[in-house]
Amino acid sequence: MKLLAWFIPLGLLALLFCLLLQRRAYKVCPWFFTYVAFAVAADSGRFVALSHPHPYRTTYWITEAGYDLLGILVMYEVLRAVLGGLTLAWWARLIFPAVVVAGVGMSLARANAVPSRLSGIEFYIVLGEIAVRFAQVFVFAGLVALVRLLGLRWRQYPFGVATGFGLYATVMLLTTIKFSDFGTRFKLLWGWTSVVAYSVAVLIWIWFFSVPQKAENQNPELSALSPGDLKQYKDALRRMR
Amino acid sequence: MLSLIFTWLIVAWGILSCIYMLRCAWTRFPKRDADDVIPFLYPVDISLAESLLDPATDFEFRWNLRPRQFRDAQRKRMRLYLELTRRMAHNATVLVQYADAENNSCDPRRVGLASTLQQKAIEVRIYSLLTRIKLHLWLLLRSELLTSKPVLAHLRTAGDIDGLQTYNALKIAAAAAFVELPPDELESLTRSL
Repeated sequence: MKLLAWFIPLGLLALLFCLLLQRRAYKVCPWFFTYVAFAVAADSGRFVALSHPHPYRTTYWITEAGYDLLGILVMYEVLRAVLGGLTLAWWARLIFPAVVVAGVGMSLARANAVPSRLSGIEFYIVLGEIAVRFAQVFVFAGLVALVRLLGLRWRQYPFGVATGFGLYATVMLLTTIKFSDFGTRFKLLWGWTSVVAYSVAVLIWIWFFSVPQKAENQNPELSALSPGDLKQYKDALRRMR
Repeated sequence: MLSLIFTWLIVAWGILSCIYMLRCAWTRFPKRDADDVIPFLYPVDISLAESLLDPATDFEFRWNLRPRQFRDAQRKRMRLYLELTRRMAHNATVLVQYADAENNSCDPRRVGLASTLQQKAIEVRIYSLLTRIKLHLWLLLRSELLTSKPVLAHLRTAGDIDGLQTYNALKIAAAAAFVELPPDELESLTRSL
């Protein structure tokens, strides 16, 4: 059963990696592509080190720090892709730093309210992980609000990436604040919820990337209108005045 | 305690967003083609919008009416402009959905026209959203009671977007995107926008 819990997310991630290669996603979402490649390598590394406690612990914390860093870089990429096409306003550049500051602030407030049993570098890695999860929920919920308010197309890669991360981060935050009431059963519940939520997130990414998406072309080389179409277009413009 | 409340709020926001995305995936409009555009549009009277945003009209009302009558007239004009922006936003949404479907076309010219249409439609949505927030606030706070303001002419631009100019650009982009329609349908489209 424990092996199954390892194999399902790893298998799904490997499938996603192949799909990203096929869709040449490294051109559209390079940081997300790097994240998935890293996740496949990190999960494989953890699996190999599973029966050796000391190397496993080292591998776990190093890869966890890698997940934190890549998680926030992917959020930067998602925001840049969506907001870059919407507005050139100066304040748009402040959104990502504001999201990071809010995430770190929430993580610090939580660490202050619920003291951790970890110390040293491990404490900071977990602090960063919770900050990244808050940032992921902010970005996801913000993008969904944009879809609702501006009528943006939701079936596009950046929204898919944000949805997967948003769902996983929401479930993990909920697990962290609610399941801790369960005492010793917490570890088991946390482990299973984490595996299921992550697998669902990977399935969401697979679903979004299963459809090819054309790269945005700002200056497409347009073929000229036919003389008939041009006359009709001019007539339509004349009627508008 | 405060951090726990904030955390719960953020988690609730995340859950609602997940539910909304699920709803989008479940109830999405089937690929919107040219036949699904004209019947779904609401006509927007641009000359009426121009007159509502004209500072001279504001001045004329203020000059000719008593303060109480002026306030009532302003509220009516605000409600009218609110309705116009609601229609603009709705039409923009329909055109965004059409442009989405067109983006998958093999013809680069149609893809280019759809991209322009989508960009203009999103600008109209941003303008409508900001203007409606402002109008709702003015109507809710009855801000005209204190200062005999607000002046509707201030609503011409919102978020650096000139509303009427952008809506006209959207109409031109729509005419270009639908140029292959039969002349009577193209005329119907231009009348419906």
